[in-house]
Amino acid sequence: RPLTRNERLFLNRALRVNQAGELGANLIYSGQYAVFKSNARLRPLIRHMWDQEIHHLDTFDALLSRHRVRPTAMRPIWNVAGYALGLGTALLGEKAAMACTEAVETEIGTHYNNQLRVLLGMLKEEPGMFQGLGEEGGELRRLVETIREFRDDELEHLDTAVEHDARKAEGYEILHHLIRGGCKAAIFVSERV
Amino acid sequence: MLLRPLLQQPRTLTLAASRSTATQLLQRSYHSAEYGTPGHSYSPTETAILSAALHHVPTTGFTKTSLTTGLRELGYPDITLNLFPRGEFDLVKFYLEKQRLNLGALVDFPKIQAEAGLGRLSMTQKIRTLCIERLKANEPVIHKLPEALGLMSLLENIPASVTELAELSDEIWALAGDTSVDTSWYTKRASLGAVYASTELFMTQDRSADFAETWKFLDRRLEDVQSLGKATANIGHYVGFTGNAVLNILRSKNVRLF
Repeated sequence: RPLTRNERLFLNRALRVNQAGELGANLIYSGQYAVFKSNARLRPLIRHMWDQEIHHLDTFDALLSRHRVRPTAMRPIWNVAGYALGLGTALLGEKAAMACTEAVETEIGTHYNNQLRVLLGMLKEEPGMFQGLGEEGGELRRLVETIREFRDDELEHLDTAVEHDARKAEGYEILHHLIRGGCKAAIFVSERV
Repeated sequence: MLLRPLLQQPRTLTLAASRSTATQLLQRSYHSAEYGTPGHSYSPTETAILSAALHHVPTTGFTKTSLTTGLRELGYPDITLNLFPRGEFDLVKFYLEKQRLNLGALVDFPKIQAEAGLGRLSMTQKIRTLCIERLKANEPVIHKLPEALGLMSLLENIPASVTELAELSDEIWALAGDTSVDTSWYTKRASLGAVYASTELFMTQDRSADFAETWKFLDRRLEDVQSLGKATANIGHYVGFTGNAVLNILRSKNVRLF
């Protein structure tokens, strides 16, 4: 059956905020990389996580242009804020950088799970929708698979950060809650603006 | 003009009312090959009535008369006019939507390329072609268009008119094959919106043969946008080079910032 208005609204917002989120993650890693370029232990780690985020961003860029979804207008602000966050936490120390990664990935993991919940709720109501219509069928199913895969990647980053002593950072509690709060606000704004 | 909102009927909480507050700003657009694109923002009945009314616009203009004639043709009682709380503006908006949704069917780029024997059309040429086709579609009602533009500029109608211009701008860029999804998405659409709106206004006053002056006006506006783009890029380069030079000078003085 055709998509309802609310479903279109949801998909529109979901794609927009996901692209904004991946952009933010990209910038955070690039900020952290700028500081840890000379750190033999962290450099390959951050580079690997950054490359995965680049792949995520490219996927969402392609989805946005295919479905003609408006990108977020806050992009210039997220550009600065993301890089500053990555750079700032990296300058605070290795453990702080890992704590930042942990907080961001936790928030993104929750966010993707919420989206999956809504999409799978749509499936439960209308199993036929995921089979797809016409030759280009399965669009929503592919979206679900993509989000699942990316959520698993993000949770892997989360585990990596915890392994690298994220929880032992100075001021971990404050950092963690501050960053998670900032992410929640950014998600709220990017969905709408 | 400012008294009009006070004199109008109070809006009820219907789907029509929520549309007229025009808070959409391209929030609901999700185009897909599978589930189709969002079409008219009017219900099937309203679409039928407005389509019938559009036939009369060349003679009676964007007025309640056209709406009433359309209604009567379809056999509805005159009271059905209350389906359109925004009155004539609904007719204008429907006309704009119809032309926008039609634009894709009007232009077939592979065919144009084959006929002209060109390799590939540049983005600017595609945009130019699309703008011209959309403007040409205005020709049957061009003598009534100033009235429509006036209605669009009423205070209570401005959000909906601007939204419609933004959607048209987005449609033209998408048909030209634009795939940008960063800040340039906004700058491109804003500049094209300005170009299109000014050209349409010019067209309503143009009396030359086949609107030749309008096409020249369009070309000049598109050139303006391009030169502005080049100027901005040049400024960006200059700032980048200067910043780099400063960093290098600092490095030479052993002050490593980056």
